[in-house]
This record gives sequence, C-alpha cells and structure tokens, in this order.
Amino acid sequence: MIDVIVIGAGPAGLAGAITCASSGLKVMVIDEFIKPGGRLIGQLHQELSGEWWNGIKESERLHQEALKQSVDIRSGVSVYNLEKDDDLWNVHTSIGTLTAPFVLAATGAAEYPIPLPGWTLPGVMSIGAAQVMTNVHRVQVGKKGIIIGANILAFAILNELQLAGIHVNRIVLPEKSPLSGKAGEPEEVMKSLLNAAHLAPSPLLRMGSRFMKNDWFRKTGMRFFPKSGVKVNGTPLLLRKAALEVIGTEQVEGVRVADTDANGNIIPGTETVYEADFVCIAGGLYPLAELAAVSGCPFQYIPELGGHVPHHSETMETPLEGLFVAGNITGIESGKIAMAQGTIAGYSIAKHAGKGGTAIVEQLNQSVKNVHLLRKQAAIQFYPDIESGRRKMYDLWEQLYANPARLHTEEKLG
Amino acid sequence: MNSNEAIVVCRCEEVTYGQLRTTAEEYQCTARELKLRTRAGMGFCGGRTCRIPLDRIIIDVLSNVSRSDIPLKYQPPVRPVSFGTVGEKND
Repeated sequence: MIDVIVIGAGPAGLAGAITCASSGLKVMVIDEFIKPGGRLIGQLHQELSGEWWNGIKESERLHQEALKQSVDIRSGVSVYNLEKDDDLWNVHTSIGTLTAPFVLAATGAAEYPIPLPGWTLPGVMSIGAAQVMTNVHRVQVGKKGIIIGANILAFAILNELQLAGIHVNRIVLPEKSPLSGKAGEPEEVMKSLLNAAHLAPSPLLRMGSRFMKNDWFRKTGMRFFPKSGVKVNGTPLLLRKAALEVIGTEQVEGVRVADTDANGNIIPGTETVYEADFVCIAGGLYPLAELAAVSGCPFQYIPELGGHVPHHSETMETPLEGLFVAGNITGIESGKIAMAQGTIAGYSIAKHAGKGGTAIVEQLNQSVKNVHLLRKQAAIQFYPDIESGRRKMYDLWEQLYANPARLHTEEKLG
Repeated sequence: MNSNEAIVVCRCEEVTYGQLRTTAEEYQCTARELKLRTRAGMGFCGGRTCRIPLDRIIIDVLSNVSRSDIPLKYQPPVRPVSFGTVGEKND
C-alpha cells in the first residue's frame, strides 16, 4: 500500500517525497526520464552571492536523501492518465495502474516552440534540448551556434554552453509574426530583459538598466541599439536582427536574418546569412499541466505565472481532495523555489494524512515563509511579475474555496 | 511571407502554417475545430509541441479571442502508450 504517489522526480517532486516520507508516509516517485533530478540535472550557474548552483550535485543530494527515507523511485516510467475512484487516485503508468490516497503532481514545465522556415532541419533544437545534451548527456551540440530568442532562459543556458566550451556566435530575435508574438518585438524584448536585468547573468544588461528606466530611454535605446549588438557574456545580442529562415540541405548550415526597426518590422534589402552548424530556439517555458487537466482539476489563466495553471492554495492543495501540486506546474520559477514548494506540499500532505502531530502546523507555516524568502533572493526570475501572479492565485483560492461550500465555478480543462 | 506559409507547425502530422491559417480564416473556428479539421496536434507527441502555436494562430485570426478563452481540451492518454499497456497487459 502506497500513501503518496509523486509524479515527477525533479526538485519539487523529490523534496515533496522526502518530506512526506520523513513524516512516516510510504512514498513512490515516478519519472519519465531515465534518472531522477528533472531539469535540475541541467542547471549550472553562479548565484548573486558568488556561490555556484550545481544542479547535478543538488539532484544527487536529493536522490540520496530520498533513498535514505526509503522512497521508492521509479525512473523511465510515464504516466498517461490520472483519475479518482472513490477515495483513491488511480495513476495509470507504463508499468500499470498504481493507487494511493494522495498524489503530488510535480510535472514541471515545457518549452514554447517558435516555428520558423527550416526548423525541422537536423541541428535545430530547443534551448532546453541543448542544455540536456550538454549537461546531462555530455554531447557537444555543435561547433558554431545561433540562439533565436532573447530571454532569461536563453541567457542562463548560453552561459552553460559557454562553460562547456561550446561556441555560440549570436543571439537574434525570431521574425515578428503571430507565432512569435512579443518575442519578435525588440522593444518588448528589451522591456522584459530590463525588468529582469538586476537578475540577469549579464553585467552589461545590468549596466544598461540604469539608463533605460523609462519608455523614452527605451525607445531611443532601441533606435540607437548598436547594429553589432551588445555582448552577453561575450556573445553579441542582436535585438534588431530577425531570423527569417534556418537554411541547409541535409542539416543546419546557417540562419538567414534581416535588420528590423524598433517594432520588429523587417527592413527590406538588409538580408544576410550567418553561418552556423546548430540553432537553438528559445521560446520560454510554460507549466506542464496535462495530468492535472485530465484529473479534472480546475484551472486559472494567469500570464504572470506562465499561462494556464491548476488552481492551488499557498499550501499547494488543489480543489480536488488528495491532489497536490508543486514546482513549475504552479508557475515558472527556479529550481530552488520548486524544491521549497515541494517541501510545503510534503508537509501539507502529511497534515492531511494526520501525520506529524502538533508540530506539523508550524513546519507548514515555516515552509511557506521559506518560499517567500527564497523568492526575494532569487538569482534567476523567468517571469518578472511572479509575485503578483502568485497573489492573484491565492486570492482566487480564498474567494472560491476558503468557504466550505466550495463553489465550483471555474473553467475545467479536463 | 510565402516561405512562412510552408512552415511545418505540427511536425507529427506535417500540417503547415498556411493550411492552419487558411482553415482558421475560412471557418473562424475554435482551436479544437482547427485540430479536427487539419489533424494538427493529433500526432505522436499529443500536441505538446504545437498546442501553443495553434492557440496563437486562433488568437490572431479571431480578434475577439484571448488565450484565457481557449480551454483546449486535454484527453488521456497524455503520453503515447500501446493498446497492451492501456489493457494492463504488460508481459
């Protein structure tokens, strides 16, 4: 008999599993990937304090801790459905159907693709795929790369590629279109980078932010944005160049680009080709919530959190009895926050299961406070308005679920 | 713009941007109808790659729709599984 099934062995899932198990619950963790750690195992960056965040070490620490607490971890197992039957959740997996009274959905995030001509050529990948190949599989993705899309995720992984000795020649924007949205508008991109500039792993952007606080400076900033770009860790960031097409016959040979105006409109007659043997598309992240959706969990659409997010309280419970969430499924943030959210979910589950005695309430409160603290200190923030997005979610929870009548008026995706 | 028409948006079912736009414009339809008419999002990956681009096409074509209005349905199985697995015959 399993008490808790955790879906996802990333930072949120493992931290949740450890907390549940240390409270005396029997826990199984399932993950689709061949080894535990989730996206943690791709991460490597320097904190504002100067300390290094080594995701592989963190994931090993969590893995060992989970094993010590007798957590049963199954890697390489996919979950394809999640539904409830009276008091038990049925977790349908590639190794059969598992049941438990509690489920923690810690399924993380997925990447936004930005389709462009030639994106199906071998050598084109998402920026996250480049991270996994480099830091997890230790495969060199190429010798000379171009990143399409300028955001915090792209800069963080650019830094990791550079640390691995992989050369990225340029960062350009996608062509402005309905498919690229704001990612193709230089002013919008500049704005979002400047909002996150104090966090960005780039001293140059940090310096720029002082001069570009208001719209006028932003506009002139774009108008006079140097054609050769500004350098992010030595790699030119070209906000006024748009990628029109990835070219090549058998594989990537280069990217056809053109100059744009401050709004991202192509300036005719400015086309040129940048040679490359790999291309990374960096569209950003959104919460991967398919399983919460098929379970019938109500959702809220909160752009500040990255899109459609399963409705949840600050203690990580959903409106469905026994279903909890933690990590990027609740909104896009760093691995550190995901881990701390997993701990909240763990205490929350233990409390619902009647474990942990009187101390559990205080532990739960402390774990919630810890997330606030970590968010203030975060070195990487993918969505600048995360705090207000979180607030919106919890306010809605208060409105809809704090009273015991439980009004089910929300949109259902499942 | 012509080369953009040929962009393969749904890679599993090989549906192009041009086909999707033409269909969305002709039928002024929901994301779900767009999927059913073109098979975009119905392939091996279960729409994990092209779901967002499909939403964006609908938002662009139908001026009165925003992303919060698109409850694009998820259905099990959310991962490709064999009939044997669904039937719980794993040996």
